[in-house]
Amino acid sequence: MRNTPVILTHDLTKSYGTVMAVHGLNLSVEPNRITAFLGQNGAGKSTTIKMLLGMIRPTCGEGTVLGKRIANAEENREMRRKVAYVAENKPLYSYMTVEQTVRFASSFYSDWRADVATKLLSEYRLPNKRKVKSLSKGMRTKLALLLAFARRPELLILDEPSEGLDPVGIEHLLQTLVAQSADGVSIFFSSHQIAEVERVADHVCILDNGRLLVNASLDRLLQSYRRIDLAFRFPPPEQEFRIAGVERIRISGNALSILASMNAEAVVERAHDLNAVSVEVAPVGLRDIFLETVKEN
Amino acid sequence: MLWYKGWLETRSRFLTCLIVVTGFCAVFIHYTQGYLRPEWRVDFHRLMLVAHQYLVIIWIISVVLLGMGGLVREKANGSSSLTLSLPVSRAHLLGVRVAIGVLEAITLGVVPWGAIFLVSFASGMPIQFQQARFYALLLVSGGLVYFAMAVLVSSLLEGEYTAPAVAFGLVFLTMILFDLWLRDLNLWRFVSGDFYLDRNTYLLSGPFPWKGTVACLAVAALMLIASVKVLEEREF
Repeated sequence: MRNTPVILTHDLTKSYGTVMAVHGLNLSVEPNRITAFLGQNGAGKSTTIKMLLGMIRPTCGEGTVLGKRIANAEENREMRRKVAYVAENKPLYSYMTVEQTVRFASSFYSDWRADVATKLLSEYRLPNKRKVKSLSKGMRTKLALLLAFARRPELLILDEPSEGLDPVGIEHLLQTLVAQSADGVSIFFSSHQIAEVERVADHVCILDNGRLLVNASLDRLLQSYRRIDLAFRFPPPEQEFRIAGVERIRISGNALSILASMNAEAVVERAHDLNAVSVEVAPVGLRDIFLETVKEN
Repeated sequence: MLWYKGWLETRSRFLTCLIVVTGFCAVFIHYTQGYLRPEWRVDFHRLMLVAHQYLVIIWIISVVLLGMGGLVREKANGSSSLTLSLPVSRAHLLGVRVAIGVLEAITLGVVPWGAIFLVSFASGMPIQFQQARFYALLLVSGGLVYFAMAVLVSSLLEGEYTAPAVAFGLVFLTMILFDLWLRDLNLWRFVSGDFYLDRNTYLLSGPFPWKGTVACLAVAALMLIASVKVLEEREF
């Protein structure tokens, strides 16, 4: 079992002219866990994944996937034997049937599990003889996922995997991700569906405007982030609360709403020192953490 | 399985072209022979030449169409991510595609001439096998330059209509420009047999132009190497 990071990047940068798609990304994805890559549309998630898989070249910086250098074509090809990837738009060959697609994909990988493929074909109710071009979007997504799940890769990279799936399909996908992780597969998936991330992820990376803003375990994030609502009899002294760990302060009349990524106790203590009439501390969900982080950036 | 993919990708184009070109040649020879008498040898050989001219036109259109597609086209329709995630190098991907294209191009040259040979034989006016072989070899060996050019264009341009339009434009442009200034190097005249035609007998004469063939294949190879370089540098 691997102990070194499955994905490691150092100052990975991609620019298109003057536009920085990914800016100095220092990412470390640990093995045997589910890492979510969160970001808005255009944050640079897909660009990062494409750089990792050698589809586009970094402008500068470097990276490795499963210990293989991403910029080296030969090493990248070797790495792709052990990585299963499902791209954002769930690409498939429209001129192939479902059966031909499965047969085609299976021929490239020694870790292909024919029994799992058969089981998933039945579970997903994919018509073997039908051409891909006549499948619905949801069915195409299922087929693309099947091609990844029927293998036993070291690393599974999924770009917006739930797009196009109905709630039942999403539930099945999340359960499969957890099962794959339990089976020792490292999973790195990009998403902007926070509820899904919150359900399955062990670790969260938040990317915005090409910069990595958060890289922490989900448990640590949820434990450390707090919303502290304070009420005073007088206009609140905002500056008193600008301490380490305070991410955002909002003032509304005599009330203050503080989002703290740490040091919530110090904020509460200071509020008591300043004779706050009301102090309420509440945990914060990943959705709020994400929105606040992105908004702040 | 890349061969299988390549075949599935091109088979409808290939089979359509094969049916059109073979059907056209067979029907053309069958009907026009009906107007000839066996003793009119020169007219009969001229008929072969005219059939070959038509075959060259249809064949070049066919191989340019067969040269389209590949990774750049897949990028436009969104399936390149699947192909590029396979543990296969881009040079290998192109190599398989070119190999299938070359085999299809050879078939498109040999089968219609086979049809011409059989129809002529059946009509009681058999052509010499050597003549049929000469025509087919000229077509395939020289014509592969057009195929390689189509592959290069399809590696540079991703538009569904832009790439074939540019490729056809280049075919006609080179044909006209070479005819004006470098007539002896005009590929069109090479593949149509114009350089080797005896104007009295309307038979292809002289030894087979191996040097010209090697030169054409070298140009085609250079274009294919350039295509590999373009694809390796390209971002998807």
